[in-house]
This record gives sequence, C-alpha cells and structure tokens, in this order.
Amino acid sequence: MSYTFAQKILMKKANLNDVKVNQIVIVKPDNLLTHDNTSAIIGKIEEDLKKYGLVSEKMPIIAIDHTVPAVDEKTATGHKKIREFVKTYGIKNFYDVGVGVCHQLVVENGFAKPGKLILGSDSHTCMYGALNCFSTGIDRTEAACLLLTGETWLKVPSTIKIILKNKLPEYTTGKDLVLKIIGDIGADGANYKAVEYDGDVKNVSIDDRFTICNMGIEMGAKIAVFPFDDVTRDYFKKINVSGDFEPVWSDTDADYEKVLTYDLTQIEPMVAKPHTVDNTAKVKEVEGKEINQALLGTCTNGRLVDFHLALKILKGKKIAKNVRLLLLPASKKVLEDGLKDGTFEKLIESGGTLLPPGCGPCLGAHQGLLAEGEVCISSSNRNFKGRMGNKNAEVFLASPLTVAASSLKGVITDPREVM
Amino acid sequence: MIRKDNIDTDMIFHNKYLTITKIEEMGKYAFGNLQGYEDFPQKCKEGDIIITGKNFGAGSSRQQAVDCFKALKVGAIVAQSFGAIYFRNAVNAGLPVVISDIIEKGINDGEVIEIDFLKGEIKRENGEVISAKEWSDVQKEIYLKGGLLG
Repeated sequence: MSYTFAQKILMKKANLNDVKVNQIVIVKPDNLLTHDNTSAIIGKIEEDLKKYGLVSEKMPIIAIDHTVPAVDEKTATGHKKIREFVKTYGIKNFYDVGVGVCHQLVVENGFAKPGKLILGSDSHTCMYGALNCFSTGIDRTEAACLLLTGETWLKVPSTIKIILKNKLPEYTTGKDLVLKIIGDIGADGANYKAVEYDGDVKNVSIDDRFTICNMGIEMGAKIAVFPFDDVTRDYFKKINVSGDFEPVWSDTDADYEKVLTYDLTQIEPMVAKPHTVDNTAKVKEVEGKEINQALLGTCTNGRLVDFHLALKILKGKKIAKNVRLLLLPASKKVLEDGLKDGTFEKLIESGGTLLPPGCGPCLGAHQGLLAEGEVCISSSNRNFKGRMGNKNAEVFLASPLTVAASSLKGVITDPREVM
Repeated sequence: MIRKDNIDTDMIFHNKYLTITKIEEMGKYAFGNLQGYEDFPQKCKEGDIIITGKNFGAGSSRQQAVDCFKALKVGAIVAQSFGAIYFRNAVNAGLPVVISDIIEKGINDGEVIEIDFLKGEIKRENGEVISAKEWSDVQKEIYLKGGLLG
C-alpha cells in the first residue's frame, strides 16, 4: 500500500496498520496549543479538572498573545485566570504577555518537529507544516477535552499536491505565491483536505514556508505541509534543536485528489482585496489605491527577514504623511534580534510605530484598529469584513515588500517600482 | 434561509464582542456583522433551522460563532458545505450541523422541515424527502451525549 503524509502520520498516531481517506481515527497529539482562549476553555471543565486532574503538565503549550498587554479589566481577569491555572497544575510550557504570538513560539522553541502531531485552538496552527509537522486548528470544546483525556478524533483528509517549479523572482515572496494559490483554489477549495508542497522546494526559504503554511487555512486546508530537507535541517540547527528527527513524506505513488503545478518564475506581487482572502489580484491591478494604515508583522509575516525586506525599501526614507505604519514583531526574539541589528531603529526613523509582540490589530483586538472608510494594507492573513475594526473599513493583504512600498508612497504600490 | 456562500466567523460573531465568554450573552450578537441579517437574534425562535450555501463558518476557530446559535436555541444549521474547523467545532459543542443541497431545492422561508440526523434525511411539508450527508458514527455518538463534554 502507498500512503500520503497525512495518512502516514495519522496511522502512526492512531497505532493502526492502515488508514483510508475519510476514516475517523482516535489520536493522542504530542502537544495542545491554546492562547488567551485558555481561560474560556478551562471555564468549561473546572469541576472535571478538580476531579480528574490534567492529563499531562508537559503536553499543553499556553501563550497569552491575542490581547497583550491587557486592554481592559475583563481581559486582565482572563489572563490572571490563565496564570493561576498554569501555577495550580504545574504547566511546563507557558509564555506570558510580551513573549510572542503562539505560533511563532511553537516554531522558535522546537515544539514543532518533523512527524509530530500538534493541535491548537487557533486556526493558524497549520503553520508548523513548514517543519514537516501535522498541525491543525481545533475548537475550544475539543481543547478542553484534550486537557482532560489527551486524545481526540480526526478524519483522515484527502490530499492536494502542489508542485513548485523553479524559483521566485526578485521582490516576490512566499506571500505572493500563497495568495496566488488561494485565489486559484478558492477559500473553500481545500476544505478538510491536506495540501502538500513538493517539487523545487529547496528554493523556498523556511520563512516563506512558514508564511505559506500559515495561510493554508485560508483555502480551508486541514494541514499545509512541506517535506523535510536541508532547509528544514538548517533551521533546526539555527534554533539549536538537535536529535533524531523522524520526517515523514508521501509515497511517490500515493493517491492524490488533485495535483497542481506552479511555475514560480511566473509569480508577481499579489494582494487579496477586501473582504475575502481568495479575492486576489496582481498589485499592478490595484496600484494607486490610497491607504491610511500599513501593518507589517504578525505570525504570517512578522519574522526578522520580513522586517529586513521592508528595510530594503524604507531605509533612509520617510513614509507618506497620510500613513500610519505599524510594526508588529511575531516574538520577543524577533524584536530583540531586530533591535540588536538596528532594523527597528531604522524602521522607526522612517516613521514606523513599534508595537509589543502579539496579535493585537490583526484580529481587531486593539492597537491600530480602523475607522469607517479607512484602508489598511497588511502583511497578516485575513481581510474579512470588519476584521480590523469598523465594518466599513477595507483590508488588503500583501507581502512585507508591498506593505513597505505602499507605506512609502501612501498608495498601494508594486515593490518593484521603488527598488 | 441565507442565500450566501463563505459566511465567515467574523460575519457570524464580530471581534468587537470576543471578550464575552458566557454562552447566554452571545446570542444577541449572532450575525451582527452579516449585512441584512443583523436583526436575526430578534427574529430567531427556538428550534429554527438556518439554511445556507457553501463554506459556512470559514475562518477562525472562534467558539462564539458556534455558541451564539446554541444560545438562541437554533435547531440546526443546514449548509452545502462548512469550514472544516467550524464543522468540528459545532459537532464537539453539540450544535447539529447538516450537509445538504436543500437550499437549491426550492424550499421557502418559514417552511417546516423535519431532519432525521441519524438517517441523514430531511422531510419537507409536502412529503418530499431530501438527502443529507450521513453523520459519521463518532459524530452520532457525540450528539447523543449532547457534545464532547456531555
């Protein structure tokens, strides 16, 4: 028998010798990730926790990241409840306010490894596929049960294979590629399916892989995953994670629902127009649209390399007068590295406003929301109506280069025009 | 009946009210960001069935987008397809979600329909039976217990 990546991992985790697409299996994930919603999750099972205890103090990973620092008394109370829970049950993996966005912490701290299964009560948990990990978003009820029992059910997804050929052109990034793919496949085109990237993946950097996998859910994908290779190996070396990796990949004759091929040389800077992520266009087609805010960062594109890209465009220059440029590093590590090498100093000189590592404006929680009629270009992952504040505001998604170029000109701008 | 595809979790439950954690308080914000349906919580009666198009509940894993319908005692949501996380979320929370093309079968707003969740059948007033995707055994088991925490 030949199997896909998804089948192989779920077979292993369910202790079965064979699994078929659509079969439901019971699995024990290696880790469960929860964030600010931990307080609501444990609220569901207070009595059971007292009675049965926590299944493991090592399995959960908790990060307070969505609304940090607390925006009001209610948020503060939720955060306090999480800290008390962590203390009472001796939870080992806890990241408090200011350390970073949960997804970045999972990949920075070596939780996500090849062949592992990680579930998280956040839809962008699919990001760790970049490291050859089966990771996907779940709901709070399920997260609550996982804290108690350590196991849950998963349906074995069918798989779409995307073959990448050649190399992305200069000033084009993984974000442009994934926006192009989502535009083609549609917001529901990969619903409950696994998406495998293959082909010339050696030409796709680890940071681009994070961005591409992070956006997997925007086409409905259960998981989005890359094979383990030298790029992955180098990343683990960089974060000082060693040991025997157990990478998994599909058999060459595995059964795919669909196989798509993309010639990377044909990819151009892309945007997702309001109000759906699959409403994509080339930057050229929307050039000149006036913007009020530019958001650079988030778990999608808030790593050091993303700020370096922005600096290529903004170094020594000032952003347009009518624009607010928000810098939102994905983690404290990114912030520290960017402070040390002077990136943030220069971006602030250009007119940027530095925000603490976290999610904040990306989901419309706080720090940089939009008023009626305002337009934001953002390197984040969602542009749903009302996502960043007022329902009659518009959010365009783009690469860090396009966000930086647009903040410089005050209108949506193709980065190739200002280089 | 909502003739619209890709109704996302921000349309169902706007981020402005995300700090609410009590289920009872969530009902009044259901569809608060879905143009033309902002008055849904006032009009909705216990047992009402929402019929809609493709990819209902696309987007985030926010629990409020499921729990707001539980608060309003919505009987079921019948869509042509669901966002994967939303579907799981509803199953685990014990909110009946059914996959069927019923929206394309000339059904009228206000019509009384009967859904047999275990058989995967929808019966109309005129006796016509429309098929729905049968639930998996795991899903049936979770519903019969009233949700994963039941």
